[in-house]
Amino acid sequence: MNNNKVLRILVVLPLYGGSLPVGRFCVAALKEMGHIVETFEAPDFYDAYNALDDLKVTSDRHQYLQNSFLQVMSQAVLAKAETFEPDMVLAMAQAPLTHQALKRLRRDNVKTVMWFVEDFRLFTYWQSFAPFYDIFAVIQKDQFISELNQIGVNNVLYLPLAAHPDFHKPTPLNSVDIRKYGGDVSFMGAGYPNRRMAFRKLIHHGLKIWGSEWDGDHVLEPYLQLGGRRVSSDECVKIFNGTKINLNLHSSIHADELVSGGDFINPRTFELAACGAFQLVDRRSLMSETFSEGELAHFDNLEELDEKIAYFLGHPEERENYAQKARERVLKEHTYAVRMQTLIDFTAEQFSDWPKDREVDNIFSEDYPEDLKKEVLQLIENLGLPTNVGFDDLVTAVRAQQGELKAIDTAVLFLDEWRKIYKK
Amino acid sequence: MKRALVVQLTRFGDLVQTKRLILTLQKRGFQVHLCVDRSLENLAKILYPKIVVYPLIAHGTGISGKGFDSVLPINLKVFKELKRIHFSEVYNLNYSPMNYAISTLFVPETVKGHKKVRGQAVKSPWFDFAFRLATERRNNINLVDYWAALSSEPIAAHEVNPVARPQGGGIGVVLAGRESRRSLPYDVLAPLILSARSTNKCKKVFLFGSKAEREFGEKLLSKLPPSIVSDVTNLAGETGWKELVEHVSPLDLLMTPDTGTMHLAAHLGIPVLAFFLSSAWCTETGPYGSGHTVIQADTECSPCVESQPCYHDLKCLAPFQDSGLARFVATRKPEHLPTGLSAFESSCDFLGADFLLKAGNDLSKERRKRMRHFIGCHLGLLDIGKHGPFPELAEKFYKEKDWITA
Repeated sequence: MNNNKVLRILVVLPLYGGSLPVGRFCVAALKEMGHIVETFEAPDFYDAYNALDDLKVTSDRHQYLQNSFLQVMSQAVLAKAETFEPDMVLAMAQAPLTHQALKRLRRDNVKTVMWFVEDFRLFTYWQSFAPFYDIFAVIQKDQFISELNQIGVNNVLYLPLAAHPDFHKPTPLNSVDIRKYGGDVSFMGAGYPNRRMAFRKLIHHGLKIWGSEWDGDHVLEPYLQLGGRRVSSDECVKIFNGTKINLNLHSSIHADELVSGGDFINPRTFELAACGAFQLVDRRSLMSETFSEGELAHFDNLEELDEKIAYFLGHPEERENYAQKARERVLKEHTYAVRMQTLIDFTAEQFSDWPKDREVDNIFSEDYPEDLKKEVLQLIENLGLPTNVGFDDLVTAVRAQQGELKAIDTAVLFLDEWRKIYKK
Repeated sequence: MKRALVVQLTRFGDLVQTKRLILTLQKRGFQVHLCVDRSLENLAKILYPKIVVYPLIAHGTGISGKGFDSVLPINLKVFKELKRIHFSEVYNLNYSPMNYAISTLFVPETVKGHKKVRGQAVKSPWFDFAFRLATERRNNINLVDYWAALSSEPIAAHEVNPVARPQGGGIGVVLAGRESRRSLPYDVLAPLILSARSTNKCKKVFLFGSKAEREFGEKLLSKLPPSIVSDVTNLAGETGWKELVEHVSPLDLLMTPDTGTMHLAAHLGIPVLAFFLSSAWCTETGPYGSGHTVIQADTECSPCVESQPCYHDLKCLAPFQDSGLARFVATRKPEHLPTGLSAFESSCDFLGADFLLKAGNDLSKERRKRMRHFIGCHLGLLDIGKHGPFPELAEKFYKEKDWITA
């Protein structure tokens, strides 16, 4: 596939959850790569969906209403696909696409891709939905891929998480933010059992804990920031940048194992690295193929973690060394743009007829009026499209804009409709 | 000065039928600006001398290529001009993707009719409601009133066009409308012309139409007695807008299918004798104002849908071939009107144009009357306390979303 080909990609976000920010970073990366992206904003529907929980109706009615609501959302995605005519529907884990909708997209020959950025052992619903996607991208390997193969899902791509350097970047904090978000040792994440157990023994380092789901832990409560509310992506970047040692302990539901030794790498690993922030991270089986020795500082048990915190607090130059190397690696290999390109290339490999060629109408003839050409080129540039973009793709990008448009935008939309009506 | 923009991108007839809206806006104190296809620019200036006209390329005729170097620059110039002017209200009238595109030039709140809001195509509540009314086409309201009701305080229907009166200049005949199925064949038309002419003082006959219909005119002439042919002038293809207005203005009568020239005659106060068949129905697009007559085909399949083929062998045409029709045209006596046809006379009421039965049948008369009152109350033209309620109509035409989200 031609790498410069502009694709139309419909990204279907989930109602909420961890894959939501990942989805938004995918959208940003795809746009940055020059593709035309439409987003299905499922979070906008979330309050209405939740309101069903307050009905106090019988359980079967409640479930019926929830299912009906999700059907409507799924139909909305289909309607959007019908209008937008995407080359690919990229769904993030928990995207509101029903079996029926996925079947319909397959029938209409729209390639569907799921980026399942969840742990397959904990979130087991993939068994029902994976066969309905054309490509299933995962953050785990071996056993998961083998299980997917067993249920007939063969277009599986290992696609680890990443960072978005325009967002996850070294950011100097002002004095107010330093007081609020800065610190020697911080952890940002949810209160899983292994973390609760571990951090009780690390409080002497002046630990700051950020994130939700820490309720009921009286020992850690004084160290919990912002009242234990969910931390926004913007705030994360400030915390990462303002902390000398960022603890990155992958989650486990088992309290008795501090370091679970699991496989996948969490997004925080990449995000911290892209921010140029120093992290102490537990070792994961898939880490060695993603980062080299000397790029990340690891720990294998609680005692080692405790010691390394003390050590690195006293050795800022070593922290800097690790942080710099990790950042270089991420910027080179582990950005969302790199991931999206991998995904696109993989899809093209699996389906020789993808993406379908669209008829490209070149806008400018040799004797095209110079002033008008300048104006159209300016529009193309403003939309972040390549200068040789076809008229059809230009129209799609203009249409993605909202509200009151400039005269040139309207003229392009009008011409498109005129051409369709008169079959020109 | 307050400015209002009307975007009317369709054809000749629709431009004339925008009159009540334009007059309403002028009466409300707006300087009216009008966007039309460039082919209608001169007509718009003749019809509405006090307005500002913007000629766009909205039609496909006469343009080769993909429009990048023809349609785009011309329309861009117009759009820039529209963008420069502040319009307090924009009336975007046609249910067409081009109109939805134009709406993106303006803040959505100022646009009435068809517009895009955050990229989503939506209709004003009145249009939404009126689209539902159109499911009962025999009881539907006139297109003139449909557009006018988009504005507040529409002028009274009788103020739109003069009461039709013969002007002594003979008979005009429109050869064919845009859809041939809606027009009478020349051999059917010929005896009707002879009949109308027989009772008219001035014996001159003028044939109107485009260049493409000139041959149709010649064939029609071949069906007329040689003694009469000298009184007939075939103007098909020979009239620009100005000439057309000049030729229609002095007529006693215009015989026509549902055409733009028919609406022009109504605009000028020239009596119309219209032949409505196929997809044409008088309550929807009949001549506006008082004093016009429509011979309406009334088969169980009429009015049909213009874009769909006829599966009934054009049965609505058959009654026009009955010799009784020629007698009716001459005498206007109900007993002469063939079965399958009804004759309606145009009038004005609280809502707009209405058509009153003069001969034949009007099976939906009561229903139509009730619907008109229902619509009148909906628009606030009538007091629902006095004329309502209309539960069966409300249940059909009001939807849950009106009740829940209006």
